[in-house]
Amino acid sequence: MFEMSLGASGGNYSVERADELFEQHRQEILRSTDRLFAKVMFFQWLAGILIAFFVAPLTWAGQSSQIHIHVWAAIFLGGAISIFPIWLTRIWPGAAVTRYVISVAQMLMSALLIALTGGRIETHFHVFGSLVILSFYRDWRVLIPATIVVALDHFVRGIYLPYSVYGVLAASPLRSIEHAGWVIFEDVFLVISCLRSIREMRSIANRTAALEASEQGFRQIFEEAPIGMAVVGLDESFNRVNTTLCQMVGYSESDLTQRTTMDITCEDDIPQGKQNAEELLTGGPRSSVERRYIRKNGEVLWMTRTACLMRDVDGHPRNFLIMVEDISERKLAEKALCESKRELEAAHHANQLIMDNSQDVICTMDEWGRFVSVSAACEQLWGYTSAELLGRFHIDLVWPEDKAMTNQVLEVLRLDGKITDFVNRYTRKDGTLIDVLWSASWSETDKIMFCVAHDVTDRARIEKALREAKDEADRANHAKSEFLSRISHELRTPLNAILGFGQLLERQNPTETQRTRVGHIISAGRHLLNLINEVLDISRVETGNLRLSLEPVRVAEALEEALSLMRPLAAERGTELLTPAPLDQSCYVMADRQRFKQVLLNLLTNAIKYSPLDGKVRVSSSATGSGAMRIVVSDTGAGISSEKLVRLFTPFDRLGAEQTPVEGTGLGLALCQRLMQAMQGSIGVNSTLGQGSTFWVELACADSPLERVASAKRNASPSPNGSGAEKLTILYLEDNLSNLTLIEQMLAEQPHIQLITAMQGQLGIELARRHSPDLILLDLHLPDLPGWEVLSRLQRHDATREIPVVIISADATSRQRKRLMAAGARAYLTKPLDMREFFRVIDEICAPRRAEDSVAA
Amino acid sequence: MRILFHYENTPGRVGALSQAWPAAQIERATDRPTLVMLAHPHCPCTAASVGELAQIMARLQGRVAAYVLFIKPKGAGRDWDDTSLRRSADAIPGVKVVFDLDGVKARRFGAETSGHTLLFSVDGRLLFSGGITASRGHAGDNAGESAIVALVNNQTPARTQTLVFGCALANRNETGPTALCLK
Repeated sequence: MFEMSLGASGGNYSVERADELFEQHRQEILRSTDRLFAKVMFFQWLAGILIAFFVAPLTWAGQSSQIHIHVWAAIFLGGAISIFPIWLTRIWPGAAVTRYVISVAQMLMSALLIALTGGRIETHFHVFGSLVILSFYRDWRVLIPATIVVALDHFVRGIYLPYSVYGVLAASPLRSIEHAGWVIFEDVFLVISCLRSIREMRSIANRTAALEASEQGFRQIFEEAPIGMAVVGLDESFNRVNTTLCQMVGYSESDLTQRTTMDITCEDDIPQGKQNAEELLTGGPRSSVERRYIRKNGEVLWMTRTACLMRDVDGHPRNFLIMVEDISERKLAEKALCESKRELEAAHHANQLIMDNSQDVICTMDEWGRFVSVSAACEQLWGYTSAELLGRFHIDLVWPEDKAMTNQVLEVLRLDGKITDFVNRYTRKDGTLIDVLWSASWSETDKIMFCVAHDVTDRARIEKALREAKDEADRANHAKSEFLSRISHELRTPLNAILGFGQLLERQNPTETQRTRVGHIISAGRHLLNLINEVLDISRVETGNLRLSLEPVRVAEALEEALSLMRPLAAERGTELLTPAPLDQSCYVMADRQRFKQVLLNLLTNAIKYSPLDGKVRVSSSATGSGAMRIVVSDTGAGISSEKLVRLFTPFDRLGAEQTPVEGTGLGLALCQRLMQAMQGSIGVNSTLGQGSTFWVELACADSPLERVASAKRNASPSPNGSGAEKLTILYLEDNLSNLTLIEQMLAEQPHIQLITAMQGQLGIELARRHSPDLILLDLHLPDLPGWEVLSRLQRHDATREIPVVIISADATSRQRKRLMAAGARAYLTKPLDMREFFRVIDEICAPRRAEDSVAA
Repeated sequence: MRILFHYENTPGRVGALSQAWPAAQIERATDRPTLVMLAHPHCPCTAASVGELAQIMARLQGRVAAYVLFIKPKGAGRDWDDTSLRRSADAIPGVKVVFDLDGVKARRFGAETSGHTLLFSVDGRLLFSGGITASRGHAGDNAGESAIVALVNNQTPARTQTLVFGCALANRNETGPTALCLK
């Protein structure tokens, strides 16, 4: 198990590693001490020989001499003692047996020396010296055999050869004890020293292990650092590099360690690099610079290079430690940012140019409405300088009456993000009032309002004048409409009598002469009526008061009705009406039925009138390719020149026809054009002078209404004679005697109708309550009550609420018609009365009543 | 070691001692005892004896006359006897160094081993004979030194003869029969 401990140095280290280091250190000491003793013993041996040789080389007898026995003793005894332990240091260095043998041998050497010196007390110091040297082993146990040898030697020789050990002929046993005691005394301190040394060695081992662990950590940090790291010599050569740096620059570790930093530095950056190195060497602070390195493949890398100086324990510079980080991407981003900034500045400059040169007021405001930037035009608008405007609250310049509205608009701007065409008023610096048209947008992100404004003071003044003129024109137009309405009413009322009695006379079997005269009366009345109607219609169209009821209208039906009406005229002029036979009954157009028929009648009338006698008028209809139906009316008249065609639809311009006997108002085609436009249709003409003209109208096609509904309509045809059931009671309220007589005579021919009349409104109401008539005919101009009031009272009363009311009025305005229809009228008939329409309405309203009566019968 | 110990503790030979001042060619002191040491100039063991002689001379402070006779064999070179041992002896105050050509004087004194020391009284009687070292070449307190000091101080020594440890003064073949001196 790999055990980690917290050492005294505070670092984590392995105990096993500490033990290993301790044992290594101990073995080194043991081996080195073995080697030391090998040398010491050899030296002792050699020194003993030399000393013996010099001190007593020879022993003499007279003039003859021989080698002194001490020399032999030094050679052989010393050799016998020294050679074996020296040999052991060679074969078993560091082994326990080696040092124990050395211990014993060294003490024997001491004993020999003491003996050779005759027990000189000085020689005993060899023992103490030897013990000290033995303690170099830092193993107190080697002192034990040494001490034993010394003690035994002294005791034995002290007893048997005291002179050889103490230099005296007789020695006390206490002397041996004393000597042994001194040895043990020294042993005690040597043992203490050995134990202390062992503790120190252990401490060193622990610190070394901790240091190794720390170094390993630093090495790992170095190798696995996410940034490039290198130890670089003072000559800038790479001594050590980590993997990240190799990957950055694309070189292998061996490649890099054969290069210098200058070899991979961009040439332009080399001088700066040398300068940085010199600054570090001269005591400068740690430097961090951006530098370009060249990868092995030639690619240029931007790096942040941080360098610091590494010193040895004496403070001398040894290496540089450099750390590099790849900032190429950051550089690219910075470059892009610079580009963006430059573009932004250019755009800002352009914006400023626009703002300074724009005639419009351009400004930005912060979220509190203070000016942030203003264009030159702002100064002209408000009369303040830019410096005076910037930072100023915009609302302070607003005309006090407009401040509330302006604040509301600003709130809307913040909510919607945009406003356009907002006008408010400001007070200029000179006190004048100006109207300003605003468009603004709000950036929630930037909290900025971007505003563009125009000085519309002049325009506002013009608009005000125009508005006043328009109001004036509207008032005039309204007066004209009122005038026309009144004229229409005043003209229609006598016309009602003229045409009504004319028609009665015509129905009472007049003589031929009377019939002719009556015909003139009716013809003139109708012409006058047409003229009035057309004038009114033109007026309505131009004032936008024409009310249309667009519905699917069957073209064939409208054509047949129009042709039916035109056949008498055509027959009179000998004009042949050519129509496709049969007419397509399935084609419908979206039109106002009456107005559509009015247009057709107008075109047919013109075609007949302006065709020569015995001429031909051709009518046809066809679908266009664009979803419309075209009805064409062609004549064989004189045709119209192209110069005159452009004036064809001009009101009252008859294109010279006023010089001819052909009667006309000059309003017909103008009215047709406006009616067709009002019905989203069109009208046109093709004409060839001398050959005739072709008029056409186009209307959008429509889907066919339900056949059942159409059938019901067809079945609703008038039945003038009735069925002979119980009589119907009709109440007629009319203050004009002529009109009253006309209705009485008209209904006199209807035996199933009983007519009750009243010339005052209040009386009419009472008669209605009393008799509960089946129908009430109501004129609007009564002497005591207006017609609408009579209608209102009838509607409010339970007895009369259900009685249908038909309005008969000369007021043909649609507004009046709608008003009364909304008030409860069942139908609205205009004077002069069309008798066919009159009876159709009566039959339509009274038919259900008669049916109920039949069922009851 | 046994050989060594045997060598160390084996005394030299002692010749026929003269119990009175022999007729040598040196003069005996008449006012004080006279000490004579016979030495071989090259004997390494005698250096200890000379050292002990210096001790004796220092302790007796001139109360004894001393001679050291260095033998010089015939045919020996001119400087044969110019040794450190002779210079050491010559340096001892009160000691006269005398050359003994071919050991004639030594034989008259009856000495055969270097370091042999003799003490004669004022009247020429032999007071002490023997070595003044405890063993061969070993300096230090010894019975010979103690005896000489005691005799000069008119005291009774523990012994008057001691063993002599040193080299032979002459080749054995030249000296004839020898005898160990008695304790």
